[in-house]
Amino acid sequence: MLKKNWRLWRSTPFRLALAFGLLFILAFLVADIITYQLLKRDLAEALDDSVRDTYSVVASTYSSEDAEDFVAGVATYARLNSPEDSIFLLVDEKGERLAGNVPLFAADDGLSTIKAGDIGVKGDDRIRIQAGTVSGNRLIVGESYSDTDDLERVALMSFVWASGVIVILACGGGAFFAARAQRRLDGIGRAMSDVSAGNLTRRIPLEGNGDDIDVVAAQMNQALDRLSALVEGMRQVSADIAHDLKTPLNRLRMTIEQAMQQSGRGGDIQAFLLDAREESDRINATFEALLRISQIEAGTRKARFRPVDIEDIMSSVAEIYGSVAEDNGQSLTFATRPASPSMVNGDRELLTQLFVNLVENAINHCPPMTSITLALEAGDGGFAATVADDGHGIPEEERELVFRRLYRLDKSRTTPGSGLGLSLVKAIADLHGAEITLKDRHPGLGIIISFPAQLQA
Amino acid sequence: MRILVVEDDKKTADYVAQGMSEAGHVCDIVEDGRNALFQASHEQYDVLVVDRMLPGLDGLSLVKAVRAASIGTPAIFLTSVSGVDDRVEGLEAGGDDYLTKPFAFSELLARVNALARRPPLQDQKTVLRVADLELDMIRRQVTRQGQAIELQPREFTLLEVLMRGEGRVLTRTMLLERVWDFHFDPKTSVVETHISRLRAKIDRPFDVPLLHTVRNTGYSLHVPR
Repeated sequence: MLKKNWRLWRSTPFRLALAFGLLFILAFLVADIITYQLLKRDLAEALDDSVRDTYSVVASTYSSEDAEDFVAGVATYARLNSPEDSIFLLVDEKGERLAGNVPLFAADDGLSTIKAGDIGVKGDDRIRIQAGTVSGNRLIVGESYSDTDDLERVALMSFVWASGVIVILACGGGAFFAARAQRRLDGIGRAMSDVSAGNLTRRIPLEGNGDDIDVVAAQMNQALDRLSALVEGMRQVSADIAHDLKTPLNRLRMTIEQAMQQSGRGGDIQAFLLDAREESDRINATFEALLRISQIEAGTRKARFRPVDIEDIMSSVAEIYGSVAEDNGQSLTFATRPASPSMVNGDRELLTQLFVNLVENAINHCPPMTSITLALEAGDGGFAATVADDGHGIPEEERELVFRRLYRLDKSRTTPGSGLGLSLVKAIADLHGAEITLKDRHPGLGIIISFPAQLQA
Repeated sequence: MRILVVEDDKKTADYVAQGMSEAGHVCDIVEDGRNALFQASHEQYDVLVVDRMLPGLDGLSLVKAVRAASIGTPAIFLTSVSGVDDRVEGLEAGGDDYLTKPFAFSELLARVNALARRPPLQDQKTVLRVADLELDMIRRQVTRQGQAIELQPREFTLLEVLMRGEGRVLTRTMLLERVWDFHFDPKTSVVETHISRLRAKIDRPFDVPLLHTVRNTGYSLHVPR
């Protein structure tokens, strides 16, 4: 329980809701108090005005010719008004009560407040009085606070109720929104811990309203997609390595056993040793290529990028391999449209290897009489480099697979190669932001590497 | 020749030392980087063979320190770190050559020989001569017995590299690096193809062959002994 409370206390939405709720209530209370005080003051002033007005009205009825009328006037006021509401008192110079609805009492000039009980009036309301002297007679006029107090009480009660409703709304609303946000954060947390636990297909559920939590969640989902693709790739590669390296290692072991038997019989084992050396070289080359691919994929080479002319690389690859293809009974040509841009920011060594791998693939996997063409042409702001042949081509269903590490077409199992050439090509192309597409040329295969627009020569 | 082998794997160190002494060189083996730095700065060596990953002081820092101490002994890195950047790092640190494990001993020997006997002035020669074969760098002309020989640009470079290394064995990978600037192993017979074409032009029409194949190792250009 304590743990749960502690967790609740550490929840950001809860703390935000609490802080804002408290702030809101505090602001409302301050506004309440100020309003209440202002109202109270206004009411007091209104009462004072009213008392003063009544006093002047009563005092103005006096005239020196007829003092009796004045006394009768005050007596009429006193008779018409209940002392609980308004009081009137007229006292002569000798202190004799002339008229009024309250017992005799004394008060200072001006405004003052007295208690009803003190002057023998029923109730415990306070009374606001104005005292003064009208031609030697003391005139006291007063009004009870009861109406004012009633109003104040009503105002106070409405404030209290409103505050209550506000507090409930603030707490309820806060709790609602906090719980909502918390539920989504919990959803993210649960999804992530599922992923940590190994369930890489788990994704964060989206609300679909495009708010900031959704945006962050969508980005995290994207990262998870990429992560699971990488992990899937790694899993694939380790499985392939396990399979493809186990075979040559077994062959190596068999060769060694054969050599041991042969030497036991006193025979010559030189041939076996050569076999074993060749096999271990192959295993090493496979490792080497895998390592190279993963280093290229890590992207650290980008730091060494320089402007490189692809046309230059292609023509020198064509020059170097022209004679190799010729000796193989094939032909190799390089055609470029003069206007084509060909500068990229890249790594010359890797780009050379990219074209060498493609050309060597064509030379090794195509029959004699094949013509292999390298071409460069402008397109889509960038340019496209093509390595094409009119050989066997690649079956449609295997086109995506050829870029996978260690993948080899069934029919090419017998020709040399590690099955890593095209994955390396893809890794290099990816590093340079270039896209590879395979095209069926009926007959033959076209590999198109599209470089995005970047440098102009 | 006196060679310092800095290598912490005993098996590799013994393999190198045995091969070197069979080839008539004297080898000292040091197993960690700090001792190697002391040894290299207090003794005279013709070549340093340095492993990249070493206890104490790694190979890269060792060669940097040696160069910082103004010791110009040629150094070749011998390493299983074969990443694409590592060769560049090795050369930038002051190494003269780079060989990745696993390696054939003949490859290492050829490279060590090439480093140790690299004559500093040869690079400035503009006309190279081996017997009656002549290569003029400036006029880009090749003649044998006074007859002009037409060469493709790449064949010209190949011949130049072979002539500069006259009498020495140049391995297939050394040629790939120096002539084609390939730092990877091609899957086709690109070296063999160009060598055979070059041979057809400079040797076949004449009586005495100059370009020799050294079995399982590489090629060498010299007057037959």
